[in-house]
Amino acid sequence: MSETKSFNAKDLSEIEKLTAKYPEKQAAVLPVLWYAQDKFGHVDPSVQKLVAQTMDLPEALIYGVVTFYTQFYEKPMGKHVLDVCTCLSCQICGGYDILHYLEEKLGIKAGETTPDGKFSIQSVECLGACAYAPMLQVTNDKYVNHLTREKVDQLIEDLKAGKQPGFESNKMPQHENGSD
Amino acid sequence: MPEIFIDNKRYEFEQPGKVLQFMLDNGLDLPFFCYHPSLSIPANCRQCMVKAGMPVFDKVKGTFELDENGERVIRYFPKLMTACSLDLADGMVVHTHHSDELVKQAQADNLEFILINHPLDCPICDQAGECPLQILTYKYGPEGSRFEHKKVHKPKAIQLGPRVILDAERCINCTRCVRFTDEISKTHQLTIISRGDKNYPMTANGKVFDDPYSLNTVDICPVGALTSADFRFKARVWEMNQTPGIDISNGKGCSTWVWTRDNLVMRITPRFNEAVNDHWMPDSGRLSYRIFNENRISKPWIRPDEKEQVRTTWNNAELTLREELDKVKPPEILVIGSPHASVEDSYAYKAYFKSLGVADFYFLPHVIPGSGDDLLLSDDQAPNTRGIRALGYSEVAGDKLQKLVASGRPKLVFILNDDILDRSDLAPSHLEDAYTVYLGTNHNSTSRAADLVIPITTAVEHAASYINVDGRIQRTVPAKETLYTNRRLNLEMSMGRPDHYGTKFDNWVTDANRIDCIPAWEFITRLNSGSDTFVWESSRRILAEIGKKIPAFQGITYEQMDENNGIQLKLEQDSEVNTI
Repeated sequence: MSETKSFNAKDLSEIEKLTAKYPEKQAAVLPVLWYAQDKFGHVDPSVQKLVAQTMDLPEALIYGVVTFYTQFYEKPMGKHVLDVCTCLSCQICGGYDILHYLEEKLGIKAGETTPDGKFSIQSVECLGACAYAPMLQVTNDKYVNHLTREKVDQLIEDLKAGKQPGFESNKMPQHENGSD
Repeated sequence: MPEIFIDNKRYEFEQPGKVLQFMLDNGLDLPFFCYHPSLSIPANCRQCMVKAGMPVFDKVKGTFELDENGERVIRYFPKLMTACSLDLADGMVVHTHHSDELVKQAQADNLEFILINHPLDCPICDQAGECPLQILTYKYGPEGSRFEHKKVHKPKAIQLGPRVILDAERCINCTRCVRFTDEISKTHQLTIISRGDKNYPMTANGKVFDDPYSLNTVDICPVGALTSADFRFKARVWEMNQTPGIDISNGKGCSTWVWTRDNLVMRITPRFNEAVNDHWMPDSGRLSYRIFNENRISKPWIRPDEKEQVRTTWNNAELTLREELDKVKPPEILVIGSPHASVEDSYAYKAYFKSLGVADFYFLPHVIPGSGDDLLLSDDQAPNTRGIRALGYSEVAGDKLQKLVASGRPKLVFILNDDILDRSDLAPSHLEDAYTVYLGTNHNSTSRAADLVIPITTAVEHAASYINVDGRIQRTVPAKETLYTNRRLNLEMSMGRPDHYGTKFDNWVTDANRIDCIPAWEFITRLNSGSDTFVWESSRRILAEIGKKIPAFQGITYEQMDENNGIQLKLEQDSEVNTI
């Protein structure tokens, strides 16, 4: 953490390209933060400061944006971040059961990272997949739906083995009878 | 002319604008939190909702559609509109809570939402008494809350910066403070962090809210979320007297409210003045209230035979001064004016010595180059530099002043309220050979070097005018009693509740807060008693006399200044004070 972070020439040209897509540079804050998070794995205060300086925007603005979205990590996270939805639909379908099972299984609380740096758990608000509740998202990417304890066990095994969850086809209830 | 119907009453408007501002300009009431006339309009508090609609226009017939009663058919917007962001339009019909039950309900419901996580700590909150949330809830809010769950708790008493303290729980996220730092002071130091019911304003990580205008956010905060570190827990709003004044800590002369309690100035806040400071003022001006309370010279002081200064009576001070004046010839008197003194004091001071035969009048400018900005701070640290220039005082640099004093020529030196020893190369030793008289408000290095010290009133104790760096003359109103003034007798002074209903024997009354001092012009009148010239009864008379003698001041009265928040003068030398 003590080493100073910086963007190299390639990063700067990428950021230049991202910024050029928008009429105002303020609009490019989100894509640039994504870029920074991809590079550093998180956007902690030092990265926020770097982004603010690179984009010539107020640091407070970047800070506000980062804290608004749970998808931006304000501190270094594990390799796999499990965002368990505990919003209304998932909560009713057992979202908290899944969260607590995960917490017990990995031995950490929501918002924490395992000592080996493999996993982090976050309790998040609605991810827009209420039909597949309860669900979780892996590192701002794949959704794992219709969670059960077995499915969670399988997911952890897969992730440990370096296997990302695959795409799951989920039929909407009205399509389940095969009438398309 | 375009017309608009608000609560079934017709109004005409000339300029395009927003419905809320138009209603406020016309004295109509509508609750709001986030709107501020000098800031952008985010419409995020949702409190100013109204029902609005437009008449249906029949393009074929070229007339408005009428119903069976012959009234215009109104097509209302499907949802309630926020009046702050709604543009005035010709023929628009607006219904507020006065004529529409839905609007009334919406306002109460919105307040119920705003209050869900707001702590009920009004009794210990500094904002109580001047809190829009408190006032509007009383006027428009629901009778109680249906929220039976635990409120969301957020950090309390966070020191955002040296002068501002945040109580995040009280915040209703109107974003006025964030918009202020973005749009007015342009330091961009604040942002709203997090989301939903967890959000509150904050600085970036590790940053301090040290904006030189930071206390304005405390003023515009519609709740007690941002409070002044200095004023916190000092006084209740309803215990204080509110008197109009001007900021004398700076050349800009912002219009202010002076808040006093028990004859101590508790705080200074900005007063709206479109021509000078809008709704704002710098923090330094607010914190300058201390000079009115602390370290004041009360009763004359005299130095008998090279010893320590001691207090003396007015009578003795006057007699000693007369004796000293009799000893010297006019060329042996050195008269130093002050950019910190008012127009009236400076005029009386000069007129008196001129009558004695003194030819030259000097002043030492109080300018700190680079300390100003393009908002409300000027390099000039004194409130009346242009005023005394217009009165014929000539500017003298510190080194030249030292030569003047050290030349040995002056036997009697008069210094009007200005700490010149602090700002020049003059040392107390230079003043040893001459008899030095200091007419001042506060003890400082110059007063300590003087042989005779005459206490005079500050800007919050007298009615006097000052001319700011832009040549605008503005005046003060006495806010704080001296030993010789009385709120009940001076109709210009404000009377707060404790003044109306209390007595001077109440145990909270502190006699020592009334300083034994008089205006400089009054002291000069006393010195001159016996002659019939320069006998003024009030500073008003002095201003009238100046008006007769100096063309730029012609016809200027206190009433005019009060009515227009000051008057722009056409002064002859229009060179910017800052550049000299």
